[in-house]
Amino acid sequence: MSEALLDIKDLTIEFGSGSQPLRVVDNISFAVSLGETVGIVGESGSGKSMTALSVLRLVPEAARVSGQIIFEGRDLLKLPKREMPAIRGKEIGMIFQEPMSSLNPLMTIGDQIDEAIRLHEDIPAPERRKRVLALLRLVGMPDPENRLSAYPDQFSGGMRQRVMAAIAMACNPKLLIADEPTTALDVTIQAQVLAMMLDIRARFNSSILLITHDLGVVAEICERVVVMYAGRILEDADARSLFSNARHPYTQGLLRSVPTLNDTRKRLYQIPGSVPPAGTIKAGCPFRPRCSVRMERCAVEMPPLRTYDPGHRVACWATAEAAA
Amino acid sequence: MARYLFFRLLDMVPTVFLVLTMVFIAMRILPGDPALVALGPNADGGQLEAFREKMGLNEPLGLQYVTFLGNAVRFDFGHSLMSDVPIGTLIANNLPHTIYLTIASVVLGLVMGIPFGVYAATQRNKLPDSALRIYSLIGYAIPDFYLAAVLLIVFSLNLGWFPINGEGSGFWDGLHHIFLPALTLAMLKSAFLGRLTRTSLLEVLGRDYVRTARAKGARESRVIYRHALRNAMLPLSTGIGISILATLSGSVAIELVFNRPGIGRLLINAIQERDYPVIQAGVMMFAFFVILVNLAMDIVYLIADPRIRMKS
Ligand SMILES: Nc1ncnc2c1ncn2[C@@H]1O[C@H](COP(=O)(O)OP(=O)(O)O)[C@@H](O)[C@H]1O
Ligand SMILES: [Mg+2]
Repeated sequence: MSEALLDIKDLTIEFGSGSQPLRVVDNISFAVSLGETVGIVGESGSGKSMTALSVLRLVPEAARVSGQIIFEGRDLLKLPKREMPAIRGKEIGMIFQEPMSSLNPLMTIGDQIDEAIRLHEDIPAPERRKRVLALLRLVGMPDPENRLSAYPDQFSGGMRQRVMAAIAMACNPKLLIADEPTTALDVTIQAQVLAMMLDIRARFNSSILLITHDLGVVAEICERVVVMYAGRILEDADARSLFSNARHPYTQGLLRSVPTLNDTRKRLYQIPGSVPPAGTIKAGCPFRPRCSVRMERCAVEMPPLRTYDPGHRVACWATAEAAA
Repeated sequence: MARYLFFRLLDMVPTVFLVLTMVFIAMRILPGDPALVALGPNADGGQLEAFREKMGLNEPLGLQYVTFLGNAVRFDFGHSLMSDVPIGTLIANNLPHTIYLTIASVVLGLVMGIPFGVYAATQRNKLPDSALRIYSLIGYAIPDFYLAAVLLIVFSLNLGWFPINGEGSGFWDGLHHIFLPALTLAMLKSAFLGRLTRTSLLEVLGRDYVRTARAKGARESRVIYRHALRNAMLPLSTGIGISILATLSGSVAIELVFNRPGIGRLLINAIQERDYPVIQAGVMMFAFFVILVNLAMDIVYLIADPRIRMKS
């Protein structure tokens, strides 16, 4: 594996204190290499957004974060608070899940993109304007010159997400984190925004951490995939081997529930049950209640992530037994 | 924008009309014969009749109403029953002082309240936040005339830092005279505005676009002043409007305690002396003040919020 740009080690995020903290991310480790696009997949509530936010140290104030988030050799969690602004937006850009509410309603979109540049680079206004226009063109905004003075309310969700992407890419960050950039959008718009993401990947040399609950999105753009469930990583593999040879029963279930082009099934497969609320599974594997191949051991002990093929890690007792 | 303003002004016509009508009705249904009240129990029938004739009280009600509206539109309020001075003159002499008091107390109230609220919001659940909570509680609980009296006793009578009463002459002397009265109202306003600033700012600080600002690399001061506070000002401006209007009721007590000229004192004296035309004019002044402040707040919204600007 090439050099890691972002190396997350033993990341744990908890809410509340005392004897019963709510653990929403539980001891996860994974890395993003230079130029790599990594997807984090998982159903809603599995801790994807908290993981993403913790990289920029933007988790809610009530959350306690432990572990290491090593970015270019420095542990961001150990950095003094006042040094984070120099990293946010400059080294790491982020697109959020909520396009409708993530832009300041009182500022023109031109000013909002411009601000992202101005905060980090000391360049004259005309140059910045050129850059803003170039960014807007890059994210596929039609007629950018006339959009600079428009306010977010004049835009649809898809267009706002393009503006968010322009903001995130304003300083050509080494890492782009996109937290479900398409989830809040209509299906046709989703495809357009996904195309934009592919475009960004092609034009910049940034690494991308793409969060989604949609394996279809992962298939189109990611080189590696981390599957999360109830705050834990269940499987971590390169995209090709994940799609051809998923080893975790949860991942297998997710793959079976993705619609394919010539689908003959009447109804789409669905994993029975739903994600347990964070913190309700006290011991063992959190997927156990929904798992078709569960064993006695699963109730007692959380399976550790075990490496199978190079770069393919799975946390499952049944998988381990089958491989033995 | 101009179109919106035109229609907004047009919108005010029925309101003004309604206010005038209500003042007219209120004056007619008040208990007692205005002539009797004005001239006292010793007046004879002829005097009373002459008074009614002079005031137009013998005309049919409809005609009185039309005359009243016509006079009001021309800002002709007649004469005071007590002093026979034209009411226009009384208002011209008193209104500026109430306006000065309003401006001074609102400016001071904003200058005290908003930074206090911002500070409390950023230091949530810490000492400044508790301090604001206690300050607001006192501000809500304490009556204006009482606070006025306390400040007057401490700073004017005991310490002698400020004049005891009057309005002063010239700008600096006027400022010296207006300080304590304005401070009294400003303290009450800032208790309200500080709390409101804290609440709206905390609400806005939890919004997604504030997170976006942080994610861009904006420092905390920029996040608060450039992104959050500007958005918090929108709900806050309604509070500022309310606070400006509260000057009206406040001015009555303050102008009495500090013995300053003003519409509040004019009105109270007129009520004590049953000077109906003056009461009528004073009430109308207050009503117009409310209408104008509302209009001003609407314009502020229009300028500040692109969402409203676009719709209009
Ligand atoms: N402020 C908070 N306080 C307590 N729990 C929270 C808070 N924010 C999120 N959570 C919990 O953290 C868990 C993970 O949330 P999140 O990372 O947003 O999931 P995902 O992005 O995968 O849908 C959820 O169970 C959610 O209820
Ligand atoms: Mg999420």
